[in-house]
Amino acid sequence: MLEMHNISKIYRAELIETHALRDFSLNVDAGEFVAVTGPSGSGKTTFLNVAGLLENFDTGKYLLDGKDVSKLSDDERSRLRNEKIGFIFQGFNLIPDLNVYDNVDVPLRYRRMTYKERDQRIKKALDIVGLGSRMNHMPSQLSGGQQQRAAIARALAGDPKFLLADEPTGNLDSLMARQVLDLLEQINEMGTTIIMVTHDIELARRAHRNVHVVDGQISDFKAYEPRTDVLAAASTASL
Amino acid sequence: MSVPFRPIVSALLRNRTGALLVAVQISIALAVLVNAVYIVKQRLDKMNRPTGLDDQNIFVVSSTGFARDFNYEATLRDDLIYLRGIPGVIAASAVNAVPLSGGGSSSGINTKPGDPQGGETGNYFGIDEQGLETLGVRLIAGRSFRAEEVQPPRPSAQGMWSSQVILSKTMAEVLFPNGNALGKTLYDGDDKPSTVIGIVDHMLGSWVSQDHPDRVYFTPAIPPGPSVRYMVRTQPGQRDRIMQLAEAHMSAANRGRAINWVRPLSLFKKNSYLADRNMGVFLATVTTLLLAITALGIFGLATFNVSTRTKQIGTRRAVGARRRDIVRYFLVENWMITTGGILIGCAMALGVGYWLSHEYSLPRVDLYYLVAGVIVLWGLGTLAAWQPARRAAKVSPALATRTT
Amino acid sequence: MFGYYLRLASLSFRRTPGLTALMVLAMAAGISVCVMSLTLYHAISGNPIWWKSNQLYAVTIDSWSPDEPLNEKRPDLPPAQLTYKDATWVANSSIPKHKVMMFRTGAIVAGGSTGVEPASAITRVTSADFFAAFEVPFKYGSGWSARADEGPEPVIVLSKETNEKFFAGANSVGRTLRWNDREFRVIGVLDDWQPQPKFYDLNNGAFDAPENVYIPLRWGETLELYSYGNTACWKPESLTTYKEFLASECIWVQMWVELPNAAARDRMQAQLDAYWSEQRKLGRFPRPRNNRLTNVDQWLLDQQVVQSDNRVLIGLAFAFLAVCLINTVGLLLAKFLNGAALAGVRRALGASRRALFMQHMVEVGMVAFTGAILGLAFAWLGLRGVRALFATSTVFNKAGIQALAHIDSWSLIFAVLLALLATFVAGFYPAWRIGRISPATYLKTQ
Repeated sequence: MLEMHNISKIYRAELIETHALRDFSLNVDAGEFVAVTGPSGSGKTTFLNVAGLLENFDTGKYLLDGKDVSKLSDDERSRLRNEKIGFIFQGFNLIPDLNVYDNVDVPLRYRRMTYKERDQRIKKALDIVGLGSRMNHMPSQLSGGQQQRAAIARALAGDPKFLLADEPTGNLDSLMARQVLDLLEQINEMGTTIIMVTHDIELARRAHRNVHVVDGQISDFKAYEPRTDVLAAASTASL
Repeated sequence: MSVPFRPIVSALLRNRTGALLVAVQISIALAVLVNAVYIVKQRLDKMNRPTGLDDQNIFVVSSTGFARDFNYEATLRDDLIYLRGIPGVIAASAVNAVPLSGGGSSSGINTKPGDPQGGETGNYFGIDEQGLETLGVRLIAGRSFRAEEVQPPRPSAQGMWSSQVILSKTMAEVLFPNGNALGKTLYDGDDKPSTVIGIVDHMLGSWVSQDHPDRVYFTPAIPPGPSVRYMVRTQPGQRDRIMQLAEAHMSAANRGRAINWVRPLSLFKKNSYLADRNMGVFLATVTTLLLAITALGIFGLATFNVSTRTKQIGTRRAVGARRRDIVRYFLVENWMITTGGILIGCAMALGVGYWLSHEYSLPRVDLYYLVAGVIVLWGLGTLAAWQPARRAAKVSPALATRTT
Repeated sequence: MFGYYLRLASLSFRRTPGLTALMVLAMAAGISVCVMSLTLYHAISGNPIWWKSNQLYAVTIDSWSPDEPLNEKRPDLPPAQLTYKDATWVANSSIPKHKVMMFRTGAIVAGGSTGVEPASAITRVTSADFFAAFEVPFKYGSGWSARADEGPEPVIVLSKETNEKFFAGANSVGRTLRWNDREFRVIGVLDDWQPQPKFYDLNNGAFDAPENVYIPLRWGETLELYSYGNTACWKPESLTTYKEFLASECIWVQMWVELPNAAARDRMQAQLDAYWSEQRKLGRFPRPRNNRLTNVDQWLLDQQVVQSDNRVLIGLAFAFLAVCLINTVGLLLAKFLNGAALAGVRRALGASRRALFMQHMVEVGMVAFTGAILGLAFAWLGLRGVRALFATSTVFNKAGIQALAHIDSWSLIFAVLLALLATFVAGFYPAWRIGRISPATYLKTQ
């Protein structure tokens, strides 16, 4: 569903060229839970930006849900982001002067939908994350874990093809982190693909597959065993 | 103690637009301030010019005879006797026009007969023997008119030229640049001669806004009827009381004429300067508002700049900057923008000044005003940025380590 | 979507109330000063008979002295008035549809209802065509006929205010009034009429109210009336008798003609030039030929009704508006860029550039709308202040100034448009800037 072939991205700043991604290739199938790991500066943030269509790349090919994204206009990319990708950020990035309901509503506003349809989706998403009773709370009235859950609901509401999570538990204490991860697993079991970027090895273990990035490239370094049983179940599910 | 100029400049250049907008505001404010102050000063000087008359103690009566049997000369005689007889009245005279009123007559007079080119135009007043006393002008040479020299009324278009004439100081200087106008002869358009018997000190004539408002001369003549104006000079403090008295009496005493109005000379003066006063008020108001808006704009922008850079400030403090270094940083940054704006503004101020001098045929703006304006705007800019800079200094160094 | 953006805009304002207030006030101040200045300027420089401006012509001939022009500052212009004999010749031409020869004088008017004191009345001594040519509205009766001009008949037309003073506003047609102690019969009463400026006679008080009464032109000759306006003479000649005055080179008469089309105008010009040549041969008109037929628009320009002061004030008003606009741009820019992180989140969630731009333009629009309304309110208050500033001169005939300082419907429409345009122009750049941000830049991704 997500196919990156030989992606390269170079940042040019005055006198310095940084090769953030070199010849980077990755395939993610529907239903997978992939963790992208690597040390700071390894390029995993760049991967995230490119995968999420937040930034362009220099060479290579990126097929999202079978569609080549390289020649898309900014409007088309925005629409793809809106419809196919659900973002989850380390810093939650909820809009502080909107309540939970309105925050989940934000991506839906950029699609043609009736009020009733939006309402249904929001309530369903909030139910999944367990925040149905806190629809009218403001972000400042929620704990870190609750805020991240609201952000997850926002990502889910549009029925994306995959969730793209950037260090989703980075700002949470261990208890809340565990709750959020449980939720993500639950969502994945319901059939949503999840790509999670993290530097935390422990976190990465919870995913089915690890992709380790060093200096912009995928390395062979494996710190753990892949969970082949889940991988197998996922690939049959996608048929 | 050194001020880090270069990093400030490069920081500014990275956020060019905001700084540029403030600089442009400052430049316009400077251009407006300099020229507005100049114009207001011009107008104030004009309004505060001495009139040369006792303008606070004079009132004017306008009378028009309308009855078929109206006897103008008799009415004139009776009115003057009455007016001059009121206790508290210093002098009264019949006049053809009122100085400072915006209405009057002017004509050309010559130093040589038959010389159509060589004359000068003057604003003339036909008065009687008490005329100079009534106006309160100071005689600096020669004498005033005598009662027997005063011409009886003649048809209007003939003007009021007589055998004697009194000139204002400026009129005398213009006609006789080599001095000593007394005793000389002047000629009207018909080449009729008249002797200069007196010179009065500088005074303003009918039109205060003309190029030469002080080129005035007097002839001993009574205006033709049936309309006439009387000017009456009173002791200080008596004017209003006597005005009421005179109006009541003169209306009742002679039913064949109407007293159109009785007004103090100060009212005419005020009305003559009304446009100037209103221009001054408008200029002062708008300029003040302009400076206020500019200052508030600088303040608002500076506050915002501080609030977006709290992490940077915290970092600076964490690595050793003292509170006053932070304040100094922001003040210097603000000073650079202000100076940039002032430089552009100087060019604009001079440009606008040039246009104004062309529009008004006035000399160009004095550089003194420009310097003063620059100082004011520098002060304004610094004052506006003062509080935000102090707020910046209060930012905690702990912000350096926070990531959210 | 618009409703959504409105909600987001109001939330955004509440986040920075001080800044928002500053922006709105700055815009309101700039708009109000501009509207006030333009209203006054429009009133001063307006053409009160614009619909007929191209058919009414002031007739001028340069009959002045060979040594110097009358107006040193405008040597190319002929004097604004004619001699009595030249005006009489023009009035006898058969080419114009209407011919108006006139001057103004003063008199004492008495009579009317009991108990009314005699009062001075500024009188316009004019030919009958005055009322038709200048489309003067009548409340009762009408002007006099050409025959009445011949007599002259002792008929008089009153202004509305004069009728109110002497007859308490009743229909006074047929009643008599004593003009300088001579009986005149009221033949018409004018309705409200305050042309600003008094284009037909700009010699004294261009913004004063029109004259109090009107009588036929011939009365000037008959009663030997002199002008209360401007009389200027250059030639040394005898002026002892009124007859000599009428035959002199003194200029004191205003002359207007109505020429319905260009052909008539050309014929009139040709006739005028022929007359000039003829008089030249008789030794008159020493200056170069400068016979002009000037329409009202050009007349107002030539006679410099708009003074330097007015132009300076307009310039200042626009400079002020510019500063207010730039101020608002700067503040909006800072505000929007400060919220760039939130805008980045929306972009990441799928908002297109246009959607972000529209969202911010709605915010700009709300500032515009509020600023415009406030600005108009301030302008209305300001104009009342202006009226107060001029109030001290109501002693004189300056009723006109009162009429100046009110916002008519044109000014209102213009003001609203100006306000909205100004703020949109101010807000366009900041909204565009924020729309252009790339989704990655401001987003806090690790």
